[in-house]
Amino acid sequence: MTGSRKDKIILQNLTVSYEEKGGLFTALDDISFGVADGEFVSVIGSSGCGKSTLLSVLEGLLRPSGGSALIDGAPISGPGPDRGVVFQSYSLFPWMTARKNVAFGIKHARRELKRAEVYRIADEYLEKVGLSDSRGRYPSRLSGGMQQRVAIARALAMDTDILLMDEPFGAVDAKNRVQLQEMLLDLWGHEARRKTVVFITHDIDEAIFLSDRVVMLTESPGRVYRDIHVPFPRPRDRSGLLGSSVYVEFRRDVTALFFGDKTGETEDDWVKI
Amino acid sequence: MSPAKLSFRTRYVRTANLLFAIFLLIQFLPNRISKADAPGYAVGFAVIAEAALLCASALATKKTGLCLIADIAAFLYALLIAWTLATAKFNLTKEMLFPPPGIVFRQLAEDVPQLGRHIGSSLALIAQGYLLALAAALPLGLVLGYSARIGNAAAYVAKFLGAIPPVVYIPYGIALLPSFRSVSVLVIFLASFWPILAATMSGVLLVERRIVDSARVLNVGRLTMLFRIILSAALPQILIGCSQGLTVSFILLTSAEMIGARSGMGFYVKNYSDLGNYTRTIVGVLVVGIVISAVFFAFNKLQKFLLRWR
Ligand SMILES: Nc1ncnc2c1ncn2[C@@H]1O[C@H](COP(=O)(O)OP(=O)(O)OP(=O)(O)O)[C@@H](O)[C@H]1O
Ligand SMILES: [Mg+2]
Repeated sequence: MTGSRKDKIILQNLTVSYEEKGGLFTALDDISFGVADGEFVSVIGSSGCGKSTLLSVLEGLLRPSGGSALIDGAPISGPGPDRGVVFQSYSLFPWMTARKNVAFGIKHARRELKRAEVYRIADEYLEKVGLSDSRGRYPSRLSGGMQQRVAIARALAMDTDILLMDEPFGAVDAKNRVQLQEMLLDLWGHEARRKTVVFITHDIDEAIFLSDRVVMLTESPGRVYRDIHVPFPRPRDRSGLLGSSVYVEFRRDVTALFFGDKTGETEDDWVKI
Repeated sequence: MSPAKLSFRTRYVRTANLLFAIFLLIQFLPNRISKADAPGYAVGFAVIAEAALLCASALATKKTGLCLIADIAAFLYALLIAWTLATAKFNLTKEMLFPPPGIVFRQLAEDVPQLGRHIGSSLALIAQGYLLALAAALPLGLVLGYSARIGNAAAYVAKFLGAIPPVVYIPYGIALLPSFRSVSVLVIFLASFWPILAATMSGVLLVERRIVDSARVLNVGRLTMLFRIILSAALPQILIGCSQGLTVSFILLTSAEMIGARSGMGFYVKNYSDLGNYTRTIVGVLVVGIVISAVFFAFNKLQKFLLRWR
């Protein structure tokens, strides 16, 4: 699975260390995996294992200390217009209204668009995340979950090839979370060209429901612990899938793996279902 | 909220209105001073204030705003009452040093054209020096602050220079520059330049990294980054520096005008107190207070507007 030629994103022996007082702290150690064009990959792992660090490398905000990170075969040299990002801590510009925030992102990702068109698209995406009524409000007047939905609308409206999302639904309540998951799949799956998504989450159900593959990291320093193919066909129907016995079994195995982290289990064959 | 939401009581039954009535009543007490008074001017002034208050009462939509205006009016009336009683009615102070309000207001009314020129002269100097400082300090502070974010030491030089109080440049400026006006502009420039520069730099340094990062992943250009992201994010800090600069500018300018000028509000006060005309001295002090309050009122309005997103 590692480093196939056609992969959109390739991580090869990626190592990231942070400088600390006492020396170097290794956050990610020897990570290798690829993400195919149009593939939806979730990364899960316990808190502090380096998930956000991994995404910073893909965002172009952090340079690898060792190994390489490639997009379309070229090393990542910085942020690029091919990537839309949703940060873990919602990161809107507080002096812009919700609508302005989304429009600002669109304008910079798709410079060819006219102003009116930019705002039309901004309104369209704010409607998709259910925030039409709040589009004139400043982030300080929005709840955490609402701010995160604006950030998601901004990333999606930018219409980039690659989407990098760091626990985007972490601050959203259960009901909205389900709606947003479905919306995300909708926007990802119905496009003529599917986006390549790297999605970080703590939530095993969310990872399975959304992804083609789930990459599980070990505790700090993060290494790839398991790389699991999710066998369920798309489009996925939530209620049908969650009730099925194959799903329940699959989920149980994944959960066991997740909590069995570091127990030194041998490679199970079922992982390659 | 519609105007009708405030009750008649909150609108019109207020200490300020009571004090206004008391002020009118004490006019009927006999005068104890020898010189002629001109109570009509003081009463006229109070009536104008009261008319303004009543308009505000009728049109106000927010309780807090109305309370503030009414409190200011009440304070004003209390001052007028005390002033009238202490001077015209009981003659507790020296007549010559402390004339009754009527005389002062009459003088104020007579001197309006002259005062207008002095105010204009002072404000023109402030505007020149301050705007020049703003135009220079803001971009420089942004660039220095931003380069300090990525580890450049230039910022510390500015910190050191900013610690020098701008008055120390006055003698140097006088030796160097041809006219009083150019020295004043220089002093105001320096007085505002350093606080604005320092505030801009520290504001830029304090901008949260996630804001810069979210701009970076959106691929904004260098100028957009500086002027639409960093500037906006640092604006609360920058405005604090701007307000400090403005305060120091007024202090220095009025002092400078008292020393070396032939015009300006400071000159008006100093000149007439030298001539022993204390009525005009008081007029001058009042005018300085009013003008500076008005400038800061406008500044605060602007600040509130610029930071409406907070
Ligand atoms: N700027 C930094 N400097 C030093 N250490 C850092 C820095 N950022 C993260 N770390 C450390 O690197 C490790 C991984 O952090 P990271 O934020 O990637 O974890 P995470 O998996 O995203 O956690 P969470 O699920 O809680 O968001 C942590 O131990 C953290 O303390
Ligand atoms: Mg994280």
